[in-house]
Amino acid sequence: MNRVPWVALGTLMAALGVWLVGLLQPVSQWLPGCAFKRLTGFACATCGLTRCAMALGRWEWGKAFHWHPAAAAFAALLPFLVLWDLRRAWRRDPYPPLPDSLAARLSVWVLLIAVWALQAARGI
Amino acid sequence: MRIPLAASFRALLRPGVAFNTTPPPLGQAVWAMARVWIPLALVNTAWTVRRAIEAYDSLRGGRMSSDLLGWLGTDPAELHDLLASLPPPPAFGRIWPWLFLLVPLSILGTWFHHAVWDHTGLWLMGGLREKRGFRVSLLAEAEALRIAAVGTLLGLLGFVPVLGVVLALPLLVLDVYLWLFRGFALAARHGCEPWRGMAATVVHAFLLGCFALAVVALMLFMVRVAA
Repeated sequence: MNRVPWVALGTLMAALGVWLVGLLQPVSQWLPGCAFKRLTGFACATCGLTRCAMALGRWEWGKAFHWHPAAAAFAALLPFLVLWDLRRAWRRDPYPPLPDSLAARLSVWVLLIAVWALQAARGI
Repeated sequence: MRIPLAASFRALLRPGVAFNTTPPPLGQAVWAMARVWIPLALVNTAWTVRRAIEAYDSLRGGRMSSDLLGWLGTDPAELHDLLASLPPPPAFGRIWPWLFLLVPLSILGTWFHHAVWDHTGLWLMGGLREKRGFRVSLLAEAEALRIAAVGTLLGLLGFVPVLGVVLALPLLVLDVYLWLFRGFALAARHGCEPWRGMAATVVHAFLLGCFALAVVALMLFMVRVAA
């Protein structure tokens, strides 16, 4: 199991998915949009992600960053993550466990909420 | 008389004790999940594809409700022109052999996807203190999804004319319960409180639900009402 680069494979599948989402561009105006925003009038934490994915599918990084800065930044970091995973798999190292740290967990929560606030404040 | 899936129904009624047994090996749990879920999912998917083809045909023919178009906030004339220009759908006979490949792959993909997100959600909720690792989440998901496959069986009722409409809300409630049900398996196998397991699935649903699921759910809804 340690020999399988799961992250790299997942990234490959995600890249394929993003490319497919990019094909939705001609019908993007008819996509239903965010159910949360439709109900509440506020953007959700992932508002802009579909448009970001469509922009990434067309390799338009500027637009992708505009629609969802966090997702576009994460996508930009993925090649490095893939390289790390391939090296890990080659060396048959196990995946490191998620850190057992309240600070780390809180940081992720704060990041999620901050992204949400950013998207809501920009009216995405 | 032995009722098929009786153990699954019992587990769903008493989720707090459903995973108190000794955990099986991962391979055995995955095989048990696949054996129960794949046949049910094949029937469900075949039926969904058939209805989707009918719905697509009716959309191309301009038989979509104008109320629905209004609700979607689209210009009916513009959408009608676009739909009329779409190519005809493929015959069901050409699609169904592919389901034998795609459905098992989707099931394994769903299992793995749930494990990744629920494991992350459980970490965010502080439920990984026992440090039992991702493999335990894979096992818990396989066990829970084998039982939750009952929902796929009951979901077939949603395709029955009239009854499907009547049962739409109860089936939605069942779907929500089956989603949370995975939290009991995660909590039992990771040795944390059940609320943390359920909260992990809620975190997963919140992040997923705001994005892909909302789009997919609406598309499925359109398929059902348009057919």
